[in-house]
Amino acid sequence: MKKILFVLGLASLAACKPNLKVDPPNANGVDFSSYVAVGNSLTAGYSDGTLYRSGQINSYPNILADQMRIFGALEFKQPLMPGEYGFPKAKLVLGYAQSPCDTSPSLSPVPFSGLIDTAGSATNIADQGPFNNFGIPGIRAIDFLIPGYALAAAASGFPYAARMFNNPTVRPLDELKLKNPTFFTLWLGNNDVLGYALAGGEENPSFVLDTRNISNTNSFINGYDSVLSVLTRTGAKGVLLNIPDVTSIPFFHTIPANGLPLDTNSAALLNSVYASHPSIRFHVGANYFVVEDPAAPGGRRQLKPNELVLLSAPQDSIKCYRWGSAVPLPKKYVLDSTELSRIKEATTAFNNHIASMSVSMNLPLVDANAFLRQAITGITFNGVTYNTEFVTGGTFSLDGVHLTPRGNAIVANEIIKAINAYYKSTIPMIDIHKYGGIRFPM
Amino acid sequence: MKKHALITTALLLFASMTFGAGFQVNVQGLRQLAMGGTGTGWMWDASCIFYNPGGLARLKNIQAYGSVHFLMVNTQYVQTPTGGYSARSKPGLYTPFNVYVGGRLKQDGKLALGLGVYTPFGSGLKWDDNWEGRYVVQSISMNAIFFQPTVSYKISDAISLGGGFIYAIGNIKLKQAVPLQDANGNDGYGELKGHADGVGVNVGLHIQPSPAFQVGISYRSQVNMKVKNGDANFVVPAAASSSFPNTSFKAELPLPQVLSVGVGVRVMPRLVLTAEANWVGWKAYDTLFFDYETNTSTLTDTKAPRNYKNTLALRLGANLKASDRVALMAGLAYDPSPVADGYVSPDLPDADRWLVTGGFSVKATNKLTIIGAIEYGASKKRDAEYIPANFNGKYQTKAIIPSIGLSYDFR
Repeated sequence: MKKILFVLGLASLAACKPNLKVDPPNANGVDFSSYVAVGNSLTAGYSDGTLYRSGQINSYPNILADQMRIFGALEFKQPLMPGEYGFPKAKLVLGYAQSPCDTSPSLSPVPFSGLIDTAGSATNIADQGPFNNFGIPGIRAIDFLIPGYALAAAASGFPYAARMFNNPTVRPLDELKLKNPTFFTLWLGNNDVLGYALAGGEENPSFVLDTRNISNTNSFINGYDSVLSVLTRTGAKGVLLNIPDVTSIPFFHTIPANGLPLDTNSAALLNSVYASHPSIRFHVGANYFVVEDPAAPGGRRQLKPNELVLLSAPQDSIKCYRWGSAVPLPKKYVLDSTELSRIKEATTAFNNHIASMSVSMNLPLVDANAFLRQAITGITFNGVTYNTEFVTGGTFSLDGVHLTPRGNAIVANEIIKAINAYYKSTIPMIDIHKYGGIRFPM
Repeated sequence: MKKHALITTALLLFASMTFGAGFQVNVQGLRQLAMGGTGTGWMWDASCIFYNPGGLARLKNIQAYGSVHFLMVNTQYVQTPTGGYSARSKPGLYTPFNVYVGGRLKQDGKLALGLGVYTPFGSGLKWDDNWEGRYVVQSISMNAIFFQPTVSYKISDAISLGGGFIYAIGNIKLKQAVPLQDANGNDGYGELKGHADGVGVNVGLHIQPSPAFQVGISYRSQVNMKVKNGDANFVVPAAASSSFPNTSFKAELPLPQVLSVGVGVRVMPRLVLTAEANWVGWKAYDTLFFDYETNTSTLTDTKAPRNYKNTLALRLGANLKASDRVALMAGLAYDPSPVADGYVSPDLPDADRWLVTGGFSVKATNKLTIIGAIEYGASKKRDAEYIPANFNGKYQTKAIIPSIGLSYDFR
């Protein structure tokens, strides 16, 4: 009997293996051998408010390059940081923080306090190149035409171009000319409007190149087209990504405009403080923050429902020192409706140009703007719904602007979909859950 | 910073489990199993307590019958559309068993009594804990054992009927990864375990117009397996533990009603051919809920839609008496899937399947018979979606079930 069972068992094992066949990936003639990614911090793998090694390793271009390797792509070189601490600032991690008026600590992003492994981060590593990842945190489309950009950026806290350029005195465009890609992705222009938004719309018209200004549309077009013509000069194929509406990222919609909860006593107290400002009134429950506004009577007013409070607004001051109520929030922490419509206008203008270049240059377009809008309500992959909520949404890292590794993998999948649809190739989709999300403390 | 609500609400916690049709294992009497699963029409032995209680009064004497099955299932998954990922389930062995005792109380009487203890549902699937679908399912298993005391009465030489009350007990167990990572990047997970029970009936009518022709009809009711006090345990980072309290849960898994019609014909003195149709009422099984004792903003009660359709399985079988002591059996069956396109979940991905069966029996003594049977089943390759989790892929399942059993006649 045992023998029979044993034989049956052996036969079973052999017969009972399913054999689904997988078609081998097909590049359909597209040459992925030398892939170059051009862009800003999103392309560089900037995450949690800084640049660190594993963030770079999980950048969407590097994830994408992994898939292209199936077709015999050459090495995808990135200007990797030596360590995990973050450079120049420490990365943010989830931890416990306590404001001076809190009785107990609560879960929130705090600066990483582990080993400082940044030695050598500022050293120029151009001789380790040429780098395939030409993502430069902070760079705008208009910066590609500025000689000495790398040095100027380093002086204002963005040392990344200076680290990887062969010659920091030339234009970034000249540095880009050293590369001969067969395939490229271009995700550029975010910072041409994001800098203004991050500054709460506090621009500096006296200095045209100030990063707090929205780029002039013609200058944007000039910079963008110059980059594109360099990338396509030897017939490389590629993909364009447009600019998501920056105000849909967690940095701008985590703190609600009416994020001031009041009880009977504090509402009454504030109403007495503002007795001489009849337009500013408080009640029990959720109240709109008070913000500086030179145009309003007394130089202050309450926020309106469509206005946005930035994640950079100091929480301790709001909680403990009555910022946003007795003390008006400084303007730089708020985007008012005028500022929001300027952001929208510029984003539309830049995206219209990117769309027209996609048509005229015969390049597929990833509509990152539409995708992010869809992500606000949530997009489900393999059993997990991702959205744009801060921390909980799973896509945005702890700086509220840049992506988690999973967010990057989702972007890489959108790029793959666009490539496969346009070039009729079959690059395998990525298992996004192979990559990490936000990490919670023990 | 918002102090509360830092934990995602974006989980489909256990909402994606289907406890699909794949848990139904039609392995009962071995001769019938080897004959494509046909057992409603032609009466052979005490396993008719399961197939058609109406036939028990045809058994000339009390018989004790036992069988055990070695169910080995393998499932392969390939991601679609580009096939960038594929996975195979971990090898698993499930051992449904059946015991039937019964027959006519007096050799020439009309009344028969019996008891069946059998496993109509008993299977599972285990994926690697880190596989791509881990947030949908990591592992799942379910079994149900039915206890069925049975009465059968022979109205005339041609007609007998019978019925039994079913008390069912069972276990369910499932595990799913929770997308909250600790400081080392490890996922959390949740595990549900519970005992279930339920009641039902199994009734049948058997007609034998001539010694060479038999017809049977049987009906097994739906059995609602209720989990009244299951354990829900979660392992998540400490910062999130208050959102995932260990608690108890309630659930209900309806096992479907089955209406069977079968015929058997002795076409030659030594050869019996059988045919059978089973109508299975899967449609009643349209949602699965989990009701947690303690709810939080992240641990909410779930109700998962499945949109099952009713199915009709068709079976053919043959029994050839090779000698006075040895018989050989063979059969074929087509068992369509109740799972609609768009609802094929990796917890036990279901597809239309073909079954090929075979077996032998040896009459060792006048009273003792040894039976061996084997069933081989392969599902069609199914290109499937599971819409609630946006989990897509191509699946194939193959199963092989060697079985062995004994029957003993008290005479």
